[in-house]
Amino acid sequence: MTKKTNPRMAVQIGNLRLKNPVMTASGTFGYGEEYSEYVDLNRLGAIVVKGLSLQPRPGNPPPRIMETTGGMLNAIGLQNIGVDVFIEEKLPFLRKHDVAVIANIYGESYAEYQKVARKLSSVKGVHALEVNVSCPNVKKGGLSFGSDPRIAALVTRKVKEETDLPVIIKLTPNVTDITAIAVAVEKAGADAVSLINTLTGMSVNLRTRTPHLKNITGGLSGPAIKPVALRMVWQVVKCVSIPVIGIGGIMNAGDALEFMVLGARAVQVGTANFINPRATTDILEGMQEYLRYNNMKDINELIGTFNEGVF
Amino acid sequence: MAKDIYIGEVLKNEEVKPQFFLMKIALPEAFGKPLPGQFVMIRIAGLAEPFLGRPISIYSFSRKKSFSEIELLFRVVGRGTQILAGLISGSQVEVHGPLGGSYKIFPEKENIVFIAGGIGVAPLSMLAQYFCRDAGVARSSLNFYVGAKTAKEIVGLDKLTELCGNMHLCTDDGTSGQKAFVTGAFQKDMKKYDPAKTAVYACGPKGMTKTLAGILGEAGFNCQVSLEERMACGTGACMGCAVAVRDKSGQAVYRRVCSDGPVFDLDDLIWE
Repeated sequence: MTKKTNPRMAVQIGNLRLKNPVMTASGTFGYGEEYSEYVDLNRLGAIVVKGLSLQPRPGNPPPRIMETTGGMLNAIGLQNIGVDVFIEEKLPFLRKHDVAVIANIYGESYAEYQKVARKLSSVKGVHALEVNVSCPNVKKGGLSFGSDPRIAALVTRKVKEETDLPVIIKLTPNVTDITAIAVAVEKAGADAVSLINTLTGMSVNLRTRTPHLKNITGGLSGPAIKPVALRMVWQVVKCVSIPVIGIGGIMNAGDALEFMVLGARAVQVGTANFINPRATTDILEGMQEYLRYNNMKDINELIGTFNEGVF
Repeated sequence: MAKDIYIGEVLKNEEVKPQFFLMKIALPEAFGKPLPGQFVMIRIAGLAEPFLGRPISIYSFSRKKSFSEIELLFRVVGRGTQILAGLISGSQVEVHGPLGGSYKIFPEKENIVFIAGGIGVAPLSMLAQYFCRDAGVARSSLNFYVGAKTAKEIVGLDKLTELCGNMHLCTDDGTSGQKAFVTGAFQKDMKKYDPAKTAVYACGPKGMTKTLAGILGEAGFNCQVSLEERMACGTGACMGCAVAVRDKSGQAVYRRVCSDGPVFDLDDLIWE
């Protein structure tokens, strides 16, 4: 019988210390309130809130989602209440909890990214910024900020100028070489990278021969994308020395631990919340169980222990 | 009781009409009494597919000796409902709910009018039951208009005829009741109802609801309508189930069917 000691779960992302590595993925957990009836928010490593823009955004016309094999497509279009309303109406609720709050931010120009970053850095209760350079569902100015290493680096620098908070850059998988973007944003001063955002996909209604989504294309999430996410995290951890946060199809503790073995310092749980509102805390408990079973006292003992050579 | 995910057991799953199923589910007692208009997200317990739960309105609720029982009346419209239709007694299901808001109740109104198209009968039947059993409204005040394409698509009459004093049945092809659209049948009777003393509740396909909006127009009726949309979370987080409505200032905004609805004022809906 192993003794039931609780393994240490705290991890470090830049100068942000998280009580455990389980975060919520932006856009899948609202502003925290939506899930507070199911989950003790104080138990989470961090809450990454729904992406915030300078002005409120109405989002895309419906239908916005479609189930696919092992996942779902979404084209929400970054519907959000805007940074000011967030600070005024949503942040006070989050502040009452002992949990790291990471604000996911989105801009249509460098100036917008900067303004949103500045606003969030001047208030109490935001512990880090996650910069969305990778939303596949918003059309503006052609090239998205996250698919060109130079542009991604410039966004990073611009945001860093405005804030003392740790800056996490959320990377898109919809690029030829994700490591090039990761390296570029690290050089530009990013404190961490999180990956992957959704993979662009689509779904066809054969009866009507029309798209299932009004936006035609949407972002694929759920267990279907986990192998792609693992591959990209594996590639990126080898190229950068800043912390990597693993995201993509994490449904259970085993999934989360796979990312951490590859070298991810923390993980984000997204689509799983839709099916099991307690997915985050279930995953946390499962991770602890795994560590106990393997006689590890600290989650950091596991991170990056992937062995490519042994079968 | 709070909304939560409960493991339920299918007690019965019966095809009441071709492609229309009545599923009876036993749930733990903790599953609270739902309000009319609320829904559940249902999945097959422990299975990876179908991936997402399916939002289905609650057709009835009853408290048994040691468990709660709900009935879902649903129509097969896609892969998810097709698989639900195949469940046999004893199957385990994950039932997330009760979710969403409810209809606003005006028991003091002289006339309660329900307008249902097809499977839209389900939430309105639960509402009629609420008026009768909980709000103590007389049968004679309840006027139920049911419409469907054909007699084969008329469901839920067994319960409704018991609850409502005035049943109005119509089909597009005249195979049951009058040959008319349900909105047309109501329109013919409209002058019988004093808008100030009448509450109208509707649920049905988009075309029906839109036609109803045109008929009611400026007549001054309060009409609440419950909507349907594809959903992922059911709790307001994913923003997947957007519907365009006019807010208090008259501005067009997207609201969530799951948590801002599923019941909306017909007047607020925006038609493309």
